[in-house]
Amino acid sequence: MVYKVSIVIPGSESGGAIINLREIPKVGDRIQVGEMEVEVMEVMDLVPPRGDFHFMHATCKVVEPQK
Amino acid sequence: MDMIELLKGVEFFDGLSDAELTRVAGICREVRYRKGDTITTQGEEGEEMYIVRDGLVEVTIGESRESAPRTVVNLGTGQVVGEMALVDRGPRSATVRCVTDASVNAIGREAFEQLCQSDTRIGMIVYRNLAADLSFKLRHRHLTRR
Repeated sequence: MVYKVSIVIPGSESGGAIINLREIPKVGDRIQVGEMEVEVMEVMDLVPPRGDFHFMHATCKVVEPQK
Repeated sequence: MDMIELLKGVEFFDGLSDAELTRVAGICREVRYRKGDTITTQGEEGEEMYIVRDGLVEVTIGESRESAPRTVVNLGTGQVVGEMALVDRGPRSATVRCVTDASVNAIGREAFEQLCQSDTRIGMIVYRNLAADLSFKLRHRHLTRR
C-alpha cells in the first residue's frame, strides 16, 4: 500500500509537499521532507482509496533542529 | 530498486500489469540532478514529463527580474512533474528545481503518445490517473490556502 500524502504547514510559505509514504501517517509522527523534518499534528483521508493507493492530508509543523 | 517495483509506487501507473509496466519502463530515461539544478523553466517549451525517483523538487511560479519566485508545492518520490506541457502542449507552467540531489524518470511526449495509442488500455488507465493526480494537486493547493 502507498499513502500519497498532502502535507500542509500552516503559516509557512513553503507550499507544503506531496510525498508517498509506505506506512500510514499518524499524529505525532515525524516525516522527513527533503532537508526539513515535520511533525504530524492532524491527519485525515482526502479522497477514497483507489487501487494500491490511499490519499491523505496531514497538517504539520516544522521540527526545529536541536542546537 | 528495480524499475517495475519503482513504477508500482507511482500513482500515475496504478492499475497496470507487470507486462504493461515493462512497456512503460521501456520509454523511461533516468536523469540525475544535483541540489539546486533546474529541471523545467516556466514559460519554456516542454517535451517531457518527469517522475521523481529519488529526492525532493520544488515547484515555483512567478520568477522574474522584478519578483522572487513563489513556491507552489514540493514533490517527493513517486510524484509527477511536467505533465501539463505533455498533455496540452503549452509552455511550462512552473519552474521545477531540485531541493536535494534528485533523480527522475523522463518520459518524452512522442513515446508516451505512441504507447497510449498502441495500447489503449494503458492509455485509458494512465490518462485517468493523470486526471486524478492533477485533482490531488488542486486539492493540495486549496488546502494550503485555507
